[in-house]
Parts: sequence; structure tokens; C-alpha cells
Amino acid sequence: MEDTRTDSPLLEAINLTKRYEDGTLALDDVSFKVYPGEVYAMLGGNGAGKTTTINLFLNFIEPTSGEARVDGIVTHVDPLAAKSKLAYVSENVMLYPNFTALQNLDYFARLGGKTSYSKDDYRRVLTRVGLEEEAHDRRLKGFSKGMRQKCGIAIAILKDAPAILLDEPTSGLDPKAGLEFTRLLQSLRDEGRAILMSTHDIFRAKDISNTVGIMNRGKIVMQKTSAELEGVDLEQIYVEYMAGYMDDAGVAAEEVA
Amino acid sequence: MLKLIIEKELREILGSTKFVVTFSVCATLILIAFYVGGRSYDVSRSDYEAAVAENVKQMAGLTDWGRIDHRVFLEPQPLGALVTGIANDIGRTTEVRTRGELNSENSRFNEDPLFAVFRFLDLEFIFGIVLSLFAILFGYDAINGEKERGTLRLSFANAVPRDKYILGKLAGSFLALSVPLLIPILIGCLLLPILGVPMESGDWQRLAMIIACGYLYLGVFLALSIFISAMTEHSSSSFLLLLVVWIIAVLIVPRTAVLVSGRAVDVPTMDEINFEKNRISDQLRREDDSKLRAYWSENPQTGTETRDQMMTRFRNYWSELADAREQEVRALSARLSEDRRNRERVQQRIALGISRISPTSVFSLAATDLAGTSLELQQQYQDQVSQYRDDYTRFIEEKTGGSGGFWFSGGSTDEAEEEPIDPYELPVFEFDAPTAATLVSKSLLDLGLLTIFNIVFFVGAFVAFLRYDVR
Repeated sequence: MEDTRTDSPLLEAINLTKRYEDGTLALDDVSFKVYPGEVYAMLGGNGAGKTTTINLFLNFIEPTSGEARVDGIVTHVDPLAAKSKLAYVSENVMLYPNFTALQNLDYFARLGGKTSYSKDDYRRVLTRVGLEEEAHDRRLKGFSKGMRQKCGIAIAILKDAPAILLDEPTSGLDPKAGLEFTRLLQSLRDEGRAILMSTHDIFRAKDISNTVGIMNRGKIVMQKTSAELEGVDLEQIYVEYMAGYMDDAGVAAEEVA
Repeated sequence: MLKLIIEKELREILGSTKFVVTFSVCATLILIAFYVGGRSYDVSRSDYEAAVAENVKQMAGLTDWGRIDHRVFLEPQPLGALVTGIANDIGRTTEVRTRGELNSENSRFNEDPLFAVFRFLDLEFIFGIVLSLFAILFGYDAINGEKERGTLRLSFANAVPRDKYILGKLAGSFLALSVPLLIPILIGCLLLPILGVPMESGDWQRLAMIIACGYLYLGVFLALSIFISAMTEHSSSSFLLLLVVWIIAVLIVPRTAVLVSGRAVDVPTMDEINFEKNRISDQLRREDDSKLRAYWSENPQTGTETRDQMMTRFRNYWSELADAREQEVRALSARLSEDRRNRERVQQRIALGISRISPTSVFSLAATDLAGTSLELQQQYQDQVSQYRDDYTRFIEEKTGGSGGFWFSGGSTDEAEEEPIDPYELPVFEFDAPTAATLVSKSLLDLGLLTIFNIVFFVGAFVAFLRYDVR
């Protein structure tokens, strides 16, 4: 897949490699680009390296080699500048349980550098992500996972960052909430944001992504654009790639033995 | 950014049930401490005044200054009610005699042994035990708890500098704990004059410093908690570790320091000293008895001498012997006491030196120094009584014509013919408490140590957090 675009990517992984101190190779020479108005979906099983990639973009860990860039800024060189251009939603959004939804939004919006929002702005965003009005002033203690997830997405929207990282964002959401989330993601993409999403959900990935990368054992083993995936059974490809890779690994292991 | 993190900490802590419960407990305890302290001072003051009056009263009707039974008393100190220190452990009543040992008795614990078992509920206890535990309760999961809850990851997905975050955490937690406590403390301060505790400006200054010292101590345990929270992965581990540190600092180190110093320096007990003094005193008395008998047989009543003249000569000779013996006993007693005191000082220096590795001991020493109820109180009182004894002895000698108050019955004096004594002529003993400036300067070392503890633990927390894996 050749990159012919002339504009700059907002998110870029360049030969990104991460080997932990115990020798585990979590990420092996991963490269990809996400342009404004694009969604890049990382598909893969547990331990494939999806969350490690996101952690490298957030500078929670430093790469062994290679670079993660946000709008051209190398994350481990200037992490604060890079993070100011990133919004993040985790798999299981956890906020302050003694704060109301509005208070949580206010805190994290201001932490993200947005100080001019009013309560009405917060309410508008919460309504946009589908959180019922009666829950806006409730403490988060009694919120379901779906409600918390909506708050997390609202926080990401309020940050108004050009790039968004989503780590298994629909995990645990009911179908209705999942559908609402897909629509929301599409609208964010249409607003021109670059979205990097890790997911297990092949169908949702195919629906909303411009590019899908299948990861296994820290490598991107397949990368296809939505045009290339047109009329293709992504589930079949995913299973084949995962199985093939596992076979290769098995053969290699036997050879070593 | 820093302000935002502080605000968040304040809001999070103040809105928690944990805070409501701990604040209620602390506020109640602080108010009780001020109230009980004020009432206790009032009772001690009444007891003191009654004892002084009774001392004068029991001399009424006596005609011979040599026969008076005079006592002096340690006046209760206003701040002693709030930080009792050793004020309740030492004897507050001392029988003053022109000769012999000065022994103090009637400590508060002697009168109320229950207090000796359960000790007093004072500010030292509240800060030293209760608030240090509460500081741990609020700080043990400051970092690893946020990580466990997942909020740390979300916070650091933003452009948040770590130094500001940890500073904000510490400042926010400290303000959330300390500022609300000012309310019961201020109410308690208002109670003092209402309860009749005569607080002067120096006392207020020292009380303010005791509270500041308590806040420094609170800061030590908060910074330590955040430090350990940033060093450990799980909040359950940090809580357990902090509990162990608390037990060591609060309960084990002070006691171990006393044990170690006791082993290091052998200080004779007061009983041993008294036994030695009595032994030598008895020996000298026996020698004097022999001299007296020899004098009696060598210098019998002469023909020109009346019985009264003979008795006067005999009494003068006895008095000379007694004075010489008293001087010798006093010199010996001073030597033994000085030796004991020197050993005791070395022992105390070792004990205090070791105990100062615990912030709790440092806080106790600073608070009792500021309140004027430290270990030195006993020595100050004894020194002042000893000085007073000199004035008292001079006074009695003047009144008794040099017999030093020793009553020697010649069988010819007729008391009924003599004027009764006026007890108000006696020199007055007033315990001269050290000035506020002196007490503050004595506490500076410990205040400095508490500041150092704060800095060390904060730097520890800071460095640990810079390397903390926020994932």
C-alpha cells in the first residue's frame, strides 16, 4: 500500500518498536499514518500490541526504537506538546465517583486546557453522546459502564483535539450504545479529526474505518484501506491472517527446538 | 494547572464520606481536649490556691519558726492543660526544710491513678496519634489508588506536568485536612478564656506555634503516605506498609530509645542515692553523737554556770556539729545528685537522639517544649525550689537566731509567753516559668527536624512519581 498523499498525517508511527526490560517484544517495527478525517482501526487479539501502540502515542512508555508522532511532534521528545493535540478514551472509562458527570467534565476539560466552557456546553456535549439529562448532575458512583463510557467520549470531544485515540471503546457497550457510538465516531471523523482505534469488533472496524491494520505478536500483518476491503469478507481475512501467523510461529518454534 | 489539581483534591476529599467521618471525630476530640484542658486547669488552679492557703493556715498559732512545716507548690501552667507533657507525672508539692533532702510528691497521677493508665486527651495525643493516622488514611492511595481506579491514566493523557500534579496532590490533601480543622481549634481557643484560663500574649503565641507544629507533623505523615503510595503498585500494599511505619514511629521508636539509652548509661535510682546519703548521714550522726558525749563528759556544768547557760552552750556546740554535718551531707548529696544528673543527662541525650528518628517523638518534644511541660520542667522546678530553700533558710536563721530552725528542747522555754508567728512573713515561692522566647528557641531544633522530614518525604514522593508508571 503506497502513500501518495501530500498533506501531513496527524498520527504517525515510524518503525515503532518496543521491547520490555524482561525481553518481551511488544511491538515490532510498526508503521502507519492517520490523516485528518480518517479512522485507522487496529484489529488483533489480546497481546497483539494495540494498547502498547496507544501507550507509545500517549508517552506512557518510551519506544525502544522508532517514533510515534502527533502532528509532527515526536511524543517521547515533547510529550506535553504531543498530548495537547490528543484526546483519549480508554476501554473502561473511570472517572471520579464522588463527582457528578458535569464536575468530571469540568475537571478533565480544564486539565486538557479548555477553560472557557460553561455548564450549558457540558450539558450539550453530554446530550450529544447520549447521556440522559437526569444523569448530568448525578454522582458517577451509580453509573453503568456505558454511561461512564459516554462521559469519557464527552471529555474527548470537549478537549477538541485534532487526534483521538480510542482503546477498545465499544467493549462492554450494549448494541444500542454501540450504534450510537459508531454514529458519533463518524461525525467526529467528518469534523476532520484523525482517529486511531484499537478494537476486537471487526464489523464496526470495517464500517467506519478508512484503514484497517491487523496486528499479531506486535506486528502489523495486514493493512488495507476501506476501498481495498470493499466486497471482501474481513472476518475471513482476519481469521486467515491470525491462523497463518500462528502456524508460522509454530513452525518457527519447532525449527528452533 | 496547579490550582486546578489542588481544587480537584479539595473537592474530592471534602465531598467524601471518609472526610465527613474523620472530620467529625477530629473536631469532637479537639473541642473535648480544649474543654477538658480548660476545666482541668481550673481544678488544678483551685487545688493550688487551696494548698497554698492551707499551708499558711496550718502555721497559725505556732510561736516558733523552727517548728513550722512549710510546703511550696508548682503552679499549674495554662498550656500544660493542652499539652500535658510531664506536668502530671512530677511531684507538685515540696516540703521545704532548712536541712535535708528536698522531695517532691503529689503528682496528678498520684492523686488520679486512672489518668496514669489511660493518659490525658490533649492536643499532643490528638495530633500525635489520631491525626497522623488520618493523614495516612487520606494519603495511602493518593497515587496508586488513582492508578487502580483508572483516573491517573486519563489525567496523564492530557498535557499535565508530573511535578505540578504531585505538588497539587500534596497541597490539596494538606489543605483539605488542615483548613477545616482550624474551625474546632479556633472554637477551642475561644473556650479557653471563657473557662478562665489566663492566657497571655506569650501563651497565645506558643499555642499558635504548637498548632503550627502539629500541622507540620500532619504534613510529614501526608508526604510520607504519598511517597509510599508512589512507590507501591497497590493501595493495599501501601496501606499495610504505612501502618507498619506508623506503629514503628509512634509506638516502637520512642520506647526503644528509652530502653537502649537505659542499657547504654547506668543511672543510679533515687532509692540507691538516698540509701547512700542516709548511710553516710547516719555514720556522721553516730560520729557526732560520740563527739557530743565526749563534750558532755569533758565539759560538764561548771559551778558558775546556770542550767540554762549550760544548755545554751551545749545547744550551740550541738548546732555547730549539726551545721558541719549538714554541710558535709549537703556536699555529698550535691555530688551524688550531680553525678546522677550528669548520667541522667547523657541517658536522656541518647534517648532523645534515638527517638528523634521518629517524627512522632520530634513532634512531642517540640510541643512539650513550647508548652513548657517538657522534661526540663522537673529540673526547673527543683532548681527553683532549691534556690528558694536558701532564702527560706536565711529567713528561718534570722528568726531563730541562727539555729537553722532546729528545735532543741532545753525544757525551759515557755511557748505560751511568745508571740505567734506571722506566716505571711515567709518568703513567697513563685514558679518562674521560662519566657515564650526561651521556650520557642528550645523547640527550634525539633521544628527544624519536622521541616526536614517534610522536605525529605516530599522530595521522595516527587522523585518516585517522576518515575511512576501511570499506565
